[in-house]
Amino acid sequence: MANSSYYKPETIALHTGYKPESDHGSRAVPIYQTTSYAFDGVQMASSLFNVEQGGHIYSRISNPTVAVLEQRMAALEGGTGAICTASGMSALFSTFITLCSAGDHIVSSEQIYGSTATTLRYTLKRFGIECDFIPINDMDALRSSIRPNTKLVFCESISNPGMEVSNLPEISKLANSFGLPVVVDATFATPSLSRPIEHGANIVVHSITKWIGGHGNSIGGCIIDGGNFNWGCLNKKKKNKFPELTDPYAPFHGISFWEEFGPTAFVMKVRSEAMRDIGAALSPNNAFLILQGLETLDLRMRKHVENTKALLEWLKSQDGVLWVRHPEMRDDEHIKKMFPNGAGSMICFGVAGGKKGGAAFINSLSLSTHLANVGDSRTLVLHPGSTTHSRLTKKDMKSAGISEDLIRVSVGIENIEDIKTDFKTGLKSALRAIK
Amino acid sequence: MLVQVNKLNVFVATGGKDFDSSLPTILFLHGSGGDHRTWAMQTRWFAFNGFSVLAPDLPGHSLSDGNAFETIEESAEWLEKFLKYIGVDKVHLVGHSQGFLTALVYAEKNSKAVSSITAIGTAAEIPVNEHLIKTAEVNRDKAAEMMCNWGFGPYAHKGISSVPGMQPIGISRAIMKNNPLAVDLRACAAFKRGNDISKKLSMDRHCILASHDKMTPMKAGLLLAKNMSIVPTVIENAGHMLPIEAPKKTLNALRQFIETIER
Repeated sequence: MANSSYYKPETIALHTGYKPESDHGSRAVPIYQTTSYAFDGVQMASSLFNVEQGGHIYSRISNPTVAVLEQRMAALEGGTGAICTASGMSALFSTFITLCSAGDHIVSSEQIYGSTATTLRYTLKRFGIECDFIPINDMDALRSSIRPNTKLVFCESISNPGMEVSNLPEISKLANSFGLPVVVDATFATPSLSRPIEHGANIVVHSITKWIGGHGNSIGGCIIDGGNFNWGCLNKKKKNKFPELTDPYAPFHGISFWEEFGPTAFVMKVRSEAMRDIGAALSPNNAFLILQGLETLDLRMRKHVENTKALLEWLKSQDGVLWVRHPEMRDDEHIKKMFPNGAGSMICFGVAGGKKGGAAFINSLSLSTHLANVGDSRTLVLHPGSTTHSRLTKKDMKSAGISEDLIRVSVGIENIEDIKTDFKTGLKSALRAIK
Repeated sequence: MLVQVNKLNVFVATGGKDFDSSLPTILFLHGSGGDHRTWAMQTRWFAFNGFSVLAPDLPGHSLSDGNAFETIEESAEWLEKFLKYIGVDKVHLVGHSQGFLTALVYAEKNSKAVSSITAIGTAAEIPVNEHLIKTAEVNRDKAAEMMCNWGFGPYAHKGISSVPGMQPIGISRAIMKNNPLAVDLRACAAFKRGNDISKKLSMDRHCILASHDKMTPMKAGLLLAKNMSIVPTVIENAGHMLPIEAPKKTLNALRQFIETIER
């Protein structure tokens, strides 16, 4: 079973958080396209504002359609609660600013998505939050990078585009021993393939734009609270290490989120503060579209993984392919433990001819789409060095696992023979370009 | 707030308002493996609407120090000291599951200090499956999983939550697996005086039961109501974890009862 539901994942994705509504019996989750919700009298209104009871006030904070998606995500990941946001990046930003204030410090994996790296390296720095980047599976590096003001450890379960799998059991054990939560971006894994909370992570973040939505039609993010971190822990000066969650919060009658909500303290603080102040709410229409994707996530992920394994084997034997990278090509125990049903559907490979060969490969494809996204049902290709990671320096690109010849493939669920035929054309073009 | 009883820190939730002994006071007692968060959706309403509330984490549970009590009688003795320390002369007692057993024993000895007693998702006596106790002794997480599976009703299993985005089963399991479940369950199993005491209560009393309660089945709840000579409130499609899975209905039933007494 999951930690927070007794239904199996396929069933959770279809049923959790919704029963056919009473007025019309709508079987599909309705789209509550509304800004706000009528109060049934003054007392009800004040009780909602005082957090005396649950309910919806304004769709920037919560919305019934979005709430169904949130509950399904919480149940699928085995968490205590979830919040959906306008994008994966706003989910990350909301997480960071909920836990960190000026003067605080983050330890991050060096192999992460380019925009996340930019947020951590530049944007948060402007607000007095510093970040050190380390090879995340190097426990000595992790231990030595932790400072008294460190507030969290961040990594991606499968890194983008380096394809490194973070050793979550080891990272979490070490981080938690220092009183630090582990925040994981699990976008590349999805809860169908790996559930980070089971491996020790404390907060899981997704870009649900990707495999969760799965159809390339809506941007969205999600934050899941594992409910498994003691926010009441003290620092070496015997003061609360996370005053953001333990100290009285003036805007809510001096509430202490930790005392009041315990295993949902973090996610309730995100709802109360980040959603209120930043307002990066997921639209109900996007939530509906993403829910349609979520309902078939398990089926799609099986096909994604099947196609990925087949393409991987095929690529290894092709002329014009210099190297191939996928987590399952490594013989690491933690990868087998964390991904028993396949380590995702992202492949990186080096094409002959470097940048020129890569351009020829991409330009000659007719089935696969060249764009800056992953996790669509369709096969997508990209040259990260000139797009998503172009803002990084050469040194940072190298530590992020990117080279000029790298082609990133998000393997879709088309017939595998059609994907191979398309890639065969691309590889021929790459080889022609360097003759 | 934190108070000291028997030289040990006790965390007491007061519903988001400072405790004021001049107001009618409601004391909420959680069940096995639980804590004050069981009552999150009831305590705040009462605190913001003319009452003072006290929802302690019993010793050894969540934010309170010490060890859990081996017997219900020990819990009731501790409750006497706790209320004496707080300086409350009279309380409305509200107990969920095991918490009601403690309230029952306290009310027997201190009937003049009790304005009313409300039983929620409980019975006069709570026999506990030996396999569950043994599991709790060796693997609290597994026992918490079993408790949540049996404890929650059909709506909660479908993930219907009154608080947007939250997953009540996950929350309860996270709380229970860190609390002394085995000690609590043994205390429940050993308590055999509930039927006798519940027949003798003289203060105002109420009983709120769940139609799909598998931990303290309706049959046992109805016997308790009969002992107490009252007609119970039955909440449909809910299970044993009533205050968490049907918070609004539980609150409404409580309000109706307590407000009538105080009016």
